[in-house]
Amino acid sequence: MSKTLSYYPGCSSQATGVHLDKSLRAVLGKVGIECREIEDWNCCGASVGHICAGHVPVAALSGRNLAQARAAGPEDVMTPCAACYLNTHATNEAIRDNPGVAADVNEALGAAGKSYDGSLLVRHACEVLVNDVGVAAIQAQVTRPLAGLKVAGWVGCQTVRPFADTERGGKWTTYDDPAFLDDFTRAAGAEPVPFTGKTRCCGGSVAVISPDKTLHLMKDILDEAKAAGAEVISTPCPLCQTNLEMYQPAVNERFGTDFNIPVVFYSQLLAVAMGLDASADAGLDQHLITPEPVLSRAK
Amino acid sequence: MSHVPTPTQTYDLSFARWVYGHVDGGDRLALCMQCGTCSGSCPLGPQMDFGPRKLFMMIRAGLKDQVLGSNTIWNCVSCYNCVVRCPRQVPVKHILQSLATVAVREGYPGARETDNARFAKAFWWSAAKYGRTDERLVTAKFYFSYGLSKGYRKSMANLAIAKGMVKARRMHLGLPHKCKNAGELKLILARAAEIEARHGDAS
Amino acid sequence: MSERKTGVYLCSGCGIGEAVPMAALEGVARTEYKLEPKTHACLCGDEGVEMIRADIAAGVNQVVVAACSARVMTDRFAFEPVLTLRADLREKVIWSHPAGDEDTAALAEDSLRMALAAAPKVKFPEPWIEGDYSQRIAVLGGGVTGLNAAREAAALGHDVLLIERSDRLGGRARDASLRLPHRPPYDKPEANHIEDLVAAVTAEPRIVVRLGATVTRTGGMPGKFAVTLSDGSVEDVGAIVIATGWRPYDAGKLGHLGYGVPGVVTNVQFEAMLKAGAPKAASGKPVKSVAFVQCAGSRDPEHLPYCSSTCCATSLKQALELLQADPAANCYVLYEELRTPGVAEELYRAAQRAGVIFIKGKVKGVDADLTVHVADALVQQDVPLKGLDMVVLATGMVPNSTDPDAAPVEYGADLLKGDVDPEAAIKVAGFCGEAPAAPERRAQAVPPGGPLLNLQYRQGPHLPVLHDGFADSHYICFPYETRRTGIYTCGPVRRPMDWAEAEEDAQGAVLKAVQAVRAAAAGSALHPRVGDLSFPKIGLNQCTKCRRCTVECPFGAIDEDEKEYPQVNPTRCRRCGTCMGACPVRTISFDNYSVEYLTTQIKAVKIPDEFSGKPRILVIACENDAVPALDQAGIKRNSWSAHVRVLPVRCLGSVSLLCISDALSVGYDGVMLMGCKPGDDYQCHFVKGSAMAAERLSKVGETLKSMMLEPERVVQVDASIADADRLPGVIDGFVEQIMGIGFNPFKGF
Repeated sequence: MSKTLSYYPGCSSQATGVHLDKSLRAVLGKVGIECREIEDWNCCGASVGHICAGHVPVAALSGRNLAQARAAGPEDVMTPCAACYLNTHATNEAIRDNPGVAADVNEALGAAGKSYDGSLLVRHACEVLVNDVGVAAIQAQVTRPLAGLKVAGWVGCQTVRPFADTERGGKWTTYDDPAFLDDFTRAAGAEPVPFTGKTRCCGGSVAVISPDKTLHLMKDILDEAKAAGAEVISTPCPLCQTNLEMYQPAVNERFGTDFNIPVVFYSQLLAVAMGLDASADAGLDQHLITPEPVLSRAK
Repeated sequence: MSHVPTPTQTYDLSFARWVYGHVDGGDRLALCMQCGTCSGSCPLGPQMDFGPRKLFMMIRAGLKDQVLGSNTIWNCVSCYNCVVRCPRQVPVKHILQSLATVAVREGYPGARETDNARFAKAFWWSAAKYGRTDERLVTAKFYFSYGLSKGYRKSMANLAIAKGMVKARRMHLGLPHKCKNAGELKLILARAAEIEARHGDAS
Repeated sequence: MSERKTGVYLCSGCGIGEAVPMAALEGVARTEYKLEPKTHACLCGDEGVEMIRADIAAGVNQVVVAACSARVMTDRFAFEPVLTLRADLREKVIWSHPAGDEDTAALAEDSLRMALAAAPKVKFPEPWIEGDYSQRIAVLGGGVTGLNAAREAAALGHDVLLIERSDRLGGRARDASLRLPHRPPYDKPEANHIEDLVAAVTAEPRIVVRLGATVTRTGGMPGKFAVTLSDGSVEDVGAIVIATGWRPYDAGKLGHLGYGVPGVVTNVQFEAMLKAGAPKAASGKPVKSVAFVQCAGSRDPEHLPYCSSTCCATSLKQALELLQADPAANCYVLYEELRTPGVAEELYRAAQRAGVIFIKGKVKGVDADLTVHVADALVQQDVPLKGLDMVVLATGMVPNSTDPDAAPVEYGADLLKGDVDPEAAIKVAGFCGEAPAAPERRAQAVPPGGPLLNLQYRQGPHLPVLHDGFADSHYICFPYETRRTGIYTCGPVRRPMDWAEAEEDAQGAVLKAVQAVRAAAAGSALHPRVGDLSFPKIGLNQCTKCRRCTVECPFGAIDEDEKEYPQVNPTRCRRCGTCMGACPVRTISFDNYSVEYLTTQIKAVKIPDEFSGKPRILVIACENDAVPALDQAGIKRNSWSAHVRVLPVRCLGSVSLLCISDALSVGYDGVMLMGCKPGDDYQCHFVKGSAMAAERLSKVGETLKSMMLEPERVVQVDASIADADRLPGVIDGFVEQIMGIGFNPFKGF
């Protein structure tokens, strides 16, 4: 297939989640999705912006991105980041459904001579892969299946909550037992382990702010993945990936455990399985806990 | 922001009605039927002074100081479990975080001093100034909001992580990433802040 | 009856012919009963039925069909006025037991034997039809329920006598403001419009309204009730619908909730205030802050133990009415469990949306300044609720099962000759041993007040009530029933309910009343034996005037004549046969059902001797639930021991202890009575039948011991219609238990 979508990489694409951006672009190229990056995009406000600024400024952040995207064309906006998706999708829907919000956002945009009419649809990259590309088409590109690799598919929160099961959210998976990540794992030729903690929370930004409050949440996730025999944890969320990877030493210190489980993006697994370069395309060399040994065993 | 009423006795409804009318999602708060699905679904429920279910009843009971002084409103991790599970479609997450905003503005003791409020301030500084957030700058600003010596201790404690991230090319040390047209964004945000203030005054 | 000519028809269809030897079955009829059978491969088909009809035309006047269960193909094998007996070879034989097995064959033969042996003992019943029957329906109570009932009955073409105690129609609805929502979207109080209903009833020519009237005396039976009114007039009616409604629980007993403090009112009082306009506080100003206290005297063992199901919705309605007038009013609903069943949930949501505050917790007290102290369970602290200007107590509904204004009439009054307590333990004659203590019962007290109808029944003037004062009824299957045939309750006197439910209830009860008057005139039974024309006949020359039948009849159908002989009122009778089972001299029988009819079948079964190693177990099964459950088990191909013989009975209440002693004396190794659950939460379709059976059985133990038999050989088990998967195991467990005890030593005696 061949399709062009507006692409909003989000701030993490230039920092902690650079390997998500890199590997996803590589995979999308293989399956015929062309990413047209939003011109001069800005931060979405994430989950803390409004505490100081309030709601209108946060909505204005997404409003500018959407205005930039709309100016470039009517194509759907796609983003790989859970928080970017949540904020941008929610603001877009509020602009469509709530005349008050639409007026506020446009008034703010007017300060820079911009406007936005709510005519776009904001989509998560995983939903695009499921609904537009299809798991079979992804699998068709796999040339080096990761046979035998045991993967715990950990979706996290905002990729699916609260929009996955809504009409405009694409109705592509359920909140409590999403299957798509295991489907991606299978498409890569690897083996999903039974994992009930698919949508457990790692603590999100609170984990960054006050790790002490959330280490036990991460321990629960690691516990189950380890017990299920997972060699690697796969996730779509940049904050999930970073949190679960960088806090493993802290979890070990607090609870006397010895976790050392690589946490990767689904797109990295797919990129490797599609025969793309492990470093340049998949970014496997950009981890605190390297996944390279277990992945090379599988190949 | 309009004056937040202070109830004079239990179940004085002035505060509850203000919350219904002024807090994001508050219009659905009246429909809370106290089932407790939110509290039971919350990953950090056990660490809260009380869960969202009880917090909502305390709003009705007019316990304003206990509500805005609680750590409940600062412990939301935005996981949206409560939002998708609430049988009455009460946007619990929005209400909690919006109450946190109120607590800061109302100058509740400690609200501005919470970790979250400090981090949010650092985050917004970066987002508004550069148009993008840069983890290195945000965390540094966050750590040093505690003052030099405590900030230094905090950053040293995370030095290993930071070094690892730099090595993994997921944190960079040069100039921060920024929008090309940060000036345009600044105009938009300034206008948005005016609108926000206007809403607060009108209501 | 002319000479009995019995035609015997065997069906080999549905696999019967392949599973059991038809020749052997034919042999049973031919050699043991001297009757020439005809076998057909599809007896229920046109050809088979025509064959039977041709024989009837040629003189056959009784038919025995050995085919499927008696519960199916009833229309195909109906040859009235020729009586048809059915032997089941299918559901309880070949579908539940292995084909080609000698025990299955023996079971089939015994099934045929039971029908053939019983045939000479029964005849097609002649109905009791005597004198005039009234088709008129009396409705007691002119409130919402009674008005709807009267209108429904008239619409069905029946004359109606509407009796109202007060001087106006409309009942409590007259004093009510708005009514609970009854139309989509069910979220706001709706106009009351009671005047329209009153006008419609008043304008209906079929309805005669008697205002200011009460019933002082009711004699007779369905189709022939004579109702005496307070002015002395006597009216003939065929059936009676009781729609006397409810009264609020006495708030005088609710001092702990502040009743007595100025500003504390009941929901009924508050309703009247709403109707009169904006409710005023003690200060004279419109009320601004109101607390509604739910379950005021309800769900409280010290007061009303039950939930009245409408008070929560009514409080919501009242709060919404108040908020409609003044959106800034403060309404608090204090509840322990808010109950808004069905669509009332919409009203609850509407009240939440309108800003009503719901506080869960016990009310600990109300101060003189109307401060309500609540143990707030949701914020987990005791809170005072100050600044209220009214407190509304949501009191519950007390059924008007009695006339609160009339002097009480108790059982044992002169009228009753003082010697029959229908609730007392019954002594069973003919068996030794002391009667055990009566089983513990929950209070059955008649609520204060006189009887509504003052029934001239031997069992007393009241409608039997359950422990909470509502009329006793088979709530699941026959909701409008009372234990007096032809008399039906509906509306809040039956169970607490709101206006919309009462409307529907009135329709249901009227349909039952219409059935009652029509069946009475046709000499036919009402459910569950709809259409049965038989009725109990008592051989007075053998009667010992023991009054057991009078007392045990669940429906009070039997009175006594001036010589103290039992006197059956046939249209009160439901044909359960409990009188027949009770009679110690076995002189009560029906044309098509008798003790002999049962014992003959019991004795028709061939009992193998103990050296065969094959026991025989008798399962006496109630045809209401147990038999259909066993049929269903057969349909599902569930299997049980082939050593069991099933004897269907109308009700376990009709089982005379003679059936049990006969069974044991001819060599059955065990007897199981299988019927509906007795007790406070009974499932018996005749209310008391299975309880009577249990009572009688409780005396059998001593008798068995005196016969040197183990009491464990006779048991009673509960069966429900849904037990198809459970009962085979119950039966097999009993067979195993009997085999553990050993064979009955009376075999071959």
